[in-house]
Amino acid sequence: MGEPHDSFASYPPIDPVNFDLIVLGTGLSESVIAAAASAVGKTVLHLDPNFFYGSHFASLSFHDLTSYLTSPYRPPSAASGDSDYVVVDLLHQSPYSDAEFASRDDESASFLRENSRKFNIDLGGPKALLSADKAIDLLMKSGASQYMEFKGIDECFVYEVNEGLANVPDSRGAIFRDKKLSLKEKNQLMRFFKLVLKHLDDTQEEKISEEDLEIPFVSFLERMKLPPKIKSILLYAIAMVDYDQDNNEVCKDLLKTKDGIDCLAQYSSSVGRFPNAPGALLYPIYGEGELPQAFCRRAAVKGCIYVLRMPVISLLMEKVTGLYKGVRLASGQDLYSSQLILDPSFTVPSPPSLARKDFLSERLQLLSQRDIKGMVARGICITKSSIKPDVSNCSVVYPPRTLYPEQVTSIKALQIGSNLGVCPAGTFILYFSTLCNDANEGKKLLKAAMNALLTLPVSGNSESVPSASDDIKPIAIWSAFYIQKLITSKFEFISSAPTPDGNLNYNDLIDATEKLFGHMYPEEEFFPKATSPEDTKDEDEEEEDSGITLES
Amino acid sequence: MASRRRMLLKVIILGDSGVGKTSLMNQYVNRKFSNQYKATIGADFLTKEVQFEDRLFTLQIWDTAGQERFQSLGVAFYRGADCCVLVYDVNVMKSFENLNHWREEFLIQASPSDPENFPFVVLGNKIDVDGGNSRVISEKKAKAWCASKGNIPYFETSAKEGFNVEAAFQCIAKNALKNEPEEEMYLPDTIDVGGGGRQQRSTGCEC
Repeated sequence: MGEPHDSFASYPPIDPVNFDLIVLGTGLSESVIAAAASAVGKTVLHLDPNFFYGSHFASLSFHDLTSYLTSPYRPPSAASGDSDYVVVDLLHQSPYSDAEFASRDDESASFLRENSRKFNIDLGGPKALLSADKAIDLLMKSGASQYMEFKGIDECFVYEVNEGLANVPDSRGAIFRDKKLSLKEKNQLMRFFKLVLKHLDDTQEEKISEEDLEIPFVSFLERMKLPPKIKSILLYAIAMVDYDQDNNEVCKDLLKTKDGIDCLAQYSSSVGRFPNAPGALLYPIYGEGELPQAFCRRAAVKGCIYVLRMPVISLLMEKVTGLYKGVRLASGQDLYSSQLILDPSFTVPSPPSLARKDFLSERLQLLSQRDIKGMVARGICITKSSIKPDVSNCSVVYPPRTLYPEQVTSIKALQIGSNLGVCPAGTFILYFSTLCNDANEGKKLLKAAMNALLTLPVSGNSESVPSASDDIKPIAIWSAFYIQKLITSKFEFISSAPTPDGNLNYNDLIDATEKLFGHMYPEEEFFPKATSPEDTKDEDEEEEDSGITLES
Repeated sequence: MASRRRMLLKVIILGDSGVGKTSLMNQYVNRKFSNQYKATIGADFLTKEVQFEDRLFTLQIWDTAGQERFQSLGVAFYRGADCCVLVYDVNVMKSFENLNHWREEFLIQASPSDPENFPFVVLGNKIDVDGGNSRVISEKKAKAWCASKGNIPYFETSAKEGFNVEAAFQCIAKNALKNEPEEEMYLPDTIDVGGGGRQQRSTGCEC
């Protein structure tokens, strides 16, 4: 059922055959670059071997998600043909492994099958946007925002040992309203927020010292005498760091005070940026897969040519210099471009070690080494009731050591309900992720996080024993676990786009994408201001019972 | 409640490349026609205010932005459509034959809650070409196909001469209005980050 286009005749040849840029894969970075390059007048061809947009950032139907994660990509047999260039076959290496699925019972399984297309499940979840983050700015700057709509995430929770879910006090009002904080804690938190606001306010004299800005944020928070609970909320739920900041041996992302302050600033300016968003986080209606599609449409409007279901099978390289010249499509057609961006699933085989030391094999050697920076474990559950009564869409952070003592990374979770157009009425999708060193560790963490809030389906070798409390926890009718390699973007003579990262937001990814664009087109602006004439205001303000016009 | 969302009607125009989708939009909204064909670049969507039973609605007509050329329109394009316009060229057999593909593609991708009653409108365009001597699809044949697909309204148009374009779009607007929106999604807490989606746009012919 997945592929809508079987009945179409095969494509006509692509015309023209020369482009400034060919992009393979429609992930978020690739799509942003296609839009940015098209906006400055580059001729761009954007290809994807899949029948859907988004690559690793897609939102898929139930059926398509499971088959995408499990069925190996079968590259079409290499079309042979004469070329003046050396033809190097592309190698596909899926970033996904260790996928496992479990349904609660046959009834659940058939419900999911029957409603497959009502689901838009994020492949790279959990992901959300902060109202004041870079992704929102980029959506507005590029004009892609006009193709999307968002809703606010209703509540942000932090998981506490023995306490369960507690609200993240992210604003003055929230601190006052909070029922779980003591009066003393409230005062401490208020004082701290005031200090941060003063520091960020250019008209105020009082600043955090340069020295303090360079020390670990965790030490600074201790110096401010903030209790462990508050410290943990600031570090893991607001600054959203991954590793245990109190454990120097395992911490790979020790946050400096100045970066911590920036995170708090971004978070607090996100709260209330859009009056009808209840908190700091937004989520796209129909899922994260709408993001790359919005940028692709932006690119198309500027002349970028789109061809889905079109694998690239090989690269064309110049024999002597080893320079990239073009690509060979599965259709057998050869196309040429000055630059190429590859989806992170694709690479070239490294040349045999005995190969001559020439430019070509040196370049291939460079290209074949992908920048793999660890892995992220992702999990998905589908439930028929919310983890918090009367709350449809919410985020949860499990700080390190809240699930068990050896938990060194925080776990992020996001629950999205049917009012965001991602699942049938009465159901919820929950996403979980954590960084990990190996698949078993990652899955163990996710399972512990899920078990804390849900009753999971029993898979083959489950150790979950039904306990008395199980009957009040929402029942997951389906669960999935998979491991995804973290591949970062890379600029060589051929560029490679990044996979989704372990963060809840897109800040790092947008940074990397802008940097990649800067490398590729040092003389060009990343979405020049006058890209589109939509900055004129009209009667929007009058009909404000729902949407929001934001002046940039 | 009649939220803002209901005041805005999304119409998408589908059909093979070169049948005149962009021209029809331009004729209807801007009363302009260009004889020079180039594959669509720069067309996004056009909006037009329409009055219906004393109420004003904004018709937002979405062009394919050229993504139909290799059948690569994403699901986002189809989502939330209130009416789907299928266009073919009365002088090109293939474009008529492909109507069925486009209709099915729409129903799969948009998956409307009530596919049987989702409003389509079919336009047979370019009836002016060669005084009608080069046409290969008769009105009768087109109407028979429309009847077989649940009595889809059918119009013969000439974007070049502006013939029947206004009438066709009035029907499109009327049918879009009748389409029941998908429930709970458009409650008032929807956030439109840029606010641009509801604004009057030029055709963006800066290219």
